[in-house]
Amino acid sequence: MNCQNAREIFPELLDHRTAATAHLEARTHLAGCPDCQREFSALSQTLAALDAMPNPAPTPRLRQNFYAMLEEEKNSAASVRAVAAREQHARRASLWRWVLSPAAAAALLALGYLAGIRSAPAPLPTTTDNSVALRNEVVDLRKKVEAMGQLVGYTALLQQQQLPANARLRGVLTSARQENPDQGGINDLIGSLLLDPSTNVRLRALDALYPHADQEVVRAGVLASLPREQNPLVQVHMIDFLAASRDPEAAAALEKLSVSETADSSVREAARRALTEL
Amino acid sequence: MDAATEQRSDHALMLAVRDGELDALGELFERHHGPLFGFLVKLTGDHAAAEDIAQTVFQRMLKYRHTYRNDGSLTAWMYHLARRCAADHFRKANAAPYATDPEDLQAHADDSPHAAERAAVRDDHALLHTALGRLDRDDREVLLLARFQELSFAEVAGILECSVGAAKVRAHRALRELRDIYFQLQKETLP
Repeated sequence: MNCQNAREIFPELLDHRTAATAHLEARTHLAGCPDCQREFSALSQTLAALDAMPNPAPTPRLRQNFYAMLEEEKNSAASVRAVAAREQHARRASLWRWVLSPAAAAALLALGYLAGIRSAPAPLPTTTDNSVALRNEVVDLRKKVEAMGQLVGYTALLQQQQLPANARLRGVLTSARQENPDQGGINDLIGSLLLDPSTNVRLRALDALYPHADQEVVRAGVLASLPREQNPLVQVHMIDFLAASRDPEAAAALEKLSVSETADSSVREAARRALTEL
Repeated sequence: MDAATEQRSDHALMLAVRDGELDALGELFERHHGPLFGFLVKLTGDHAAAEDIAQTVFQRMLKYRHTYRNDGSLTAWMYHLARRCAADHFRKANAAPYATDPEDLQAHADDSPHAAERAAVRDDHALLHTALGRLDRDDREVLLLARFQELSFAEVAGILECSVGAAKVRAHRALRELRDIYFQLQKETLP
């Protein structure tokens, strides 16, 4: 073994975790080579000095701040549980209403159907063209209804945006407090992340979506909001979210951001970092 | 600390935090904040910044607790977060990351007429502190992580997002660089 080969084994020899099992030939070479002994000794001395550097103690401020933060989070979690318990109770109380309402609706539907059969004129002979036209008409109507539904949803969201930021923030926090929000609650949070003009509200909405990062619709919502977002702080948080949720669908958008000249340098760096994590 | 808590591993405690037992993070704080702070002081050279970063690390552990994985290593995850928090700090500071200016040491060594100051400069810890400050931040980071006895090289490689072999090569190269600077400083400060 020559000096170069022996020195390649030095990292193992210098690490007490691996020194015992390191290459025997390297040890033999080291024992008989003054140059390698000098090199090894200098490295060993540097490491000893590094290991002997004292570890300073933090001030009591660190512990105080940590426990204050933990207490705040615990209170927040406790209030989330209390709100969830109250809502569960309210849901149970109104259970009968929910059971009876569909039953009444079904009864009315059945009555209407019977009345229709009795009072309707005799059916005209139908042709294939008529049935196709009828089916198309139904499809058109369904599309219109869906479009109206979306419009109503967006209108409601836009109306919410007329409220003061504090009120919108309260709305987001209420959604966040639900341990198992329904799809409507999740959609509201995604809508706030996408459309709300307040940075605070968008950040809170993103925080509230973290526990639901396992849902594809949530990841898709954050991914869809990313190109629209202009605030670097929110952008970085969104990127962290996508990296933490390991969403491979985010790779293309992150690559684009990582080289974007218009994006803030912190955003580009966060995107590059996230790409390595995906 | 009760006996039940004492028996729980770091991993078990973090899983408990993830599942809503937030008090378990207090135990993790008590176990790890000292070494974490020491690592951050050596990395930044700045006590106040190291405290702020350590605080942020525990904040993020709480915030991102839902992303902690069953197959994870708490220490590796925590130092991964620490590395990112430190990177954020350096980016915000947008300045030399090390508080000790190596030029100051040179000035002290050459100009100070006081024996006490000269003795302080010759102090091994001060020399090594300065030598660490002269290393590139990446080299300093890999060297400190590699010498951190609670982390295996596989975990260090995971934190640095490179292979184990690459982590070892980078750590050894950083050590040689530190050795050169350290010995040079020793020569410069000889009376």
